Amino acid sequence: MHARTSNRFSKLGYIGMSALLAATLAACGNNNDAEPAASVSAQQSESQASDNSAIQEGTTKLQEVTKQLQDAIGSQNADEVKKLGKSVNDAWLAYENSVRQAFPLEYVEVEKYVMPIYSASAYDKVDFEALTATAAKLQDALVALKNAKPTTANTSELLLKAVDNYKAYVQEQMDQMVDRTKLFTEAVIAGNIDEAKRLYPLTRVNYERIEPIAESFGDLDPRIDAREADVEDLSTWTGIHRIEKALWVEKSLEGMDQYADQLIKDVQELQRKVSTFELEPKGMVAGAMELLNEAATSKITGEEEIFSHLDLVDFAANVEGSKTVYLSIIPALNEKNPDLGNQLDAQFQKIEQVLLSYQKNGEYVTYDTLTTEQIREISDELSVLSTLMSQTASIL
Amino acid sequence: MGEQSNKGGMSRLDFLKMSAVAGVGLVVGGTGMKVIERAVGSDRHTAVDGSIEGEQVVEMYGEHQAGIVTPQQTYMYLASFKIIAADRAALIRLMKDWTKFSDLSTSGGTMRTGDNPMLPPSDTGETYDLPASRLTVTFGFGPSLFGVGGTDRYGLAGKLPNYLKDIPRMPREKLDAALSGGDVVVQVCADDQQVAFHAIRNFIRLSTGAATLNWLNEGFISGRPGTTPRNLFGFKDGTANVLHQTTEGYDQVVWAGEDEPEWIKGGTYMAFRKIRMLLEVWDRSSMAEQQDTFGRYKESGAAYGKQGEFDEVDSAKLPDTAHVRLAKESKQLIHRRGYSYTDGVDPRTGNVNAGLLFISYQRNPDEQFIPMLKLMQNNDKLNEYTLHIASGMFACPGGIRQGEYIGQKLFES
Repeated sequence: MHARTSNRFSKLGYIGMSALLAATLAACGNNNDAEPAASVSAQQSESQASDNSAIQEGTTKLQEVTKQLQDAIGSQNADEVKKLGKSVNDAWLAYENSVRQAFPLEYVEVEKYVMPIYSASAYDKVDFEALTATAAKLQDALVALKNAKPTTANTSELLLKAVDNYKAYVQEQMDQMVDRTKLFTEAVIAGNIDEAKRLYPLTRVNYERIEPIAESFGDLDPRIDAREADVEDLSTWTGIHRIEKALWVEKSLEGMDQYADQLIKDVQELQRKVSTFELEPKGMVAGAMELLNEAATSKITGEEEIFSHLDLVDFAANVEGSKTVYLSIIPALNEKNPDLGNQLDAQFQKIEQVLLSYQKNGEYVTYDTLTTEQIREISDELSVLSTLMSQTASIL
Repeated sequence: MGEQSNKGGMSRLDFLKMSAVAGVGLVVGGTGMKVIERAVGSDRHTAVDGSIEGEQVVEMYGEHQAGIVTPQQTYMYLASFKIIAADRAALIRLMKDWTKFSDLSTSGGTMRTGDNPMLPPSDTGETYDLPASRLTVTFGFGPSLFGVGGTDRYGLAGKLPNYLKDIPRMPREKLDAALSGGDVVVQVCADDQQVAFHAIRNFIRLSTGAATLNWLNEGFISGRPGTTPRNLFGFKDGTANVLHQTTEGYDQVVWAGEDEPEWIKGGTYMAFRKIRMLLEVWDRSSMAEQQDTFGRYKESGAAYGKQGEFDEVDSAKLPDTAHVRLAKESKQLIHRRGYSYTDGVDPRTGNVNAGLLFISYQRNPDEQFIPMLKLMQNNDKLNEYTLHIASGMFACPGGIRQGEYIGQKLFES
């Protein structure tokens, strides 16, 4: 379980060196002395070339392992799939730092598909269907990486591109939220408690990933997401947590129709508003910080999901939403603050590892089963991540 | 032993002879006792703010209790008691003992022990060599003392003042009942923490048998003289106090109205909220975010669009949910006298438990305080970084003359 982390750290020494080199280059670039500049430039292209050949090699290797994984999926060999899921991760970790430096946009795509494959290798039950799709997308991403060209954009262009990518993610989450909320509210109206309980965490994930955006539209957020303790007059309490209480405490969906009807309407309204939402780099970076603050204030305390105790679902979703911002600003970080990028990369890995250890068959354990020491570990990792994330505004 | 039957309470010197086990009614013989050396009734010069030059003494007697409009001392203890006295007479004995100890300690004295070494010492002793350090003691009575929400144990229901009731449920609060409310609250303030603690410790000691301690908070606040102190978020806290710090201003904002029961004339209402401040989250927030949260510039304390801390706030220049904007929108003044606190470590997060012991004094909390609190709990951007964890409302009786005891008009009229 710590393999991903320790591999990652063994790479840090190398990255630290190349970051130092980059800093030296930048310093020399300002120097009018032509000679050292020329020799540095030679060094630079040399190091880039060796990086590029390493990336080509690494990608070829990763394509091969992924192909083996696809074969194992095809023959429904669960043990082999689990083993190869770890190998895919190892192959990626062996060279991903150089990819992040050289081809940040392509890096994000690969990272997006390696992670779920690796996670699935820890589950008892293998979801072959889901893995088939993910592995295929990973292959596409690897082809794109092999053909990638170094970016020549400047920081502000990189940031605008980052916002575009992030907006696409928000839209994707929003659309998924509408689909899932539809199923959830239908189950509620049909009085199907088991089905509603199964769908509940799915609707939470999308919302919690993009919470700062979802909170930007007046009273839509309180209507959808207010917790019992937030409300002044309990007769006006609506939304998902009202239904959460019915499902886990009242154990009856009687009278929940009105809240379900309102919920799907509100989520659809949110979708319309999000589709025309203007976002700037500043707001996006601040949003990543807000997500981690949310996790640190209402999730770590177990207050967000006070009836279902599914706080880890929300917590992980906050971290994922924040990571998406981080991934989209990697090009700008590479340009302005590569060290911070390295540290964030390592810390996201670390907190993902910790969270993963609380999953059983792909589902998080309930928060009330965690000991004080376990919560403390999660909180400490989150503190480190948040402190790093608070520095990302240095790229603006 | 005739001291106890003295209805108006004992004289200062009488009390000095008394042992500490007052609540139980035990009094040690007065012969052979070393009486405290203290300049009583000397030519003290009382300054405008009630402090006595050279002695660091704040006068406890007067129209109002000290510790309300007294300039803030550096340290505070706030203790809440549940009264368990068997009857009103026992409650009165407690109030007399407390009054006597207030008199003694605010003037810089300590109880001196008799010559029987087999007895526990009368005074806990940690202030033998310390000056009064502007010690003040302020008493307040909670709704439950008047039987609100329970039985009227002391026959005081008829004297409930107009606005004394628990603060109603507020959105986003997470109150701990064990840290909230109480029959009697005692606020002790001093410029020396040891002096302040000595006082609260002995109030607790003297209450044995008549009251038990519900909760105890410890606060601190510091600023250069004449400047507004800063809270743990680094922002000036209480800037708006300047708007009413005159005799007329206090009459309008702080001192209870003419339509109130006699005993609270010259008194006021204390609103208390223990507000956890999420320091770690705050410290990671950008300067822009921090300033937007308050609507003031951090360093100068000036409201957005202004130069100086005390320049009139132009609400339109502040973000909609800024703390200061909402405070202005309520169009009410309160007298703020809060203290910062730290409370160890949250074992689950590793974060420091710290925040604000919010204390405000006002003549009509229904009008001045509760709507403001509600507005803020609903809209204040500061809510992202704070959590209200305890609450209380207390009616503070008016001041007393020497020889009277605290709340005498309430308990004897």
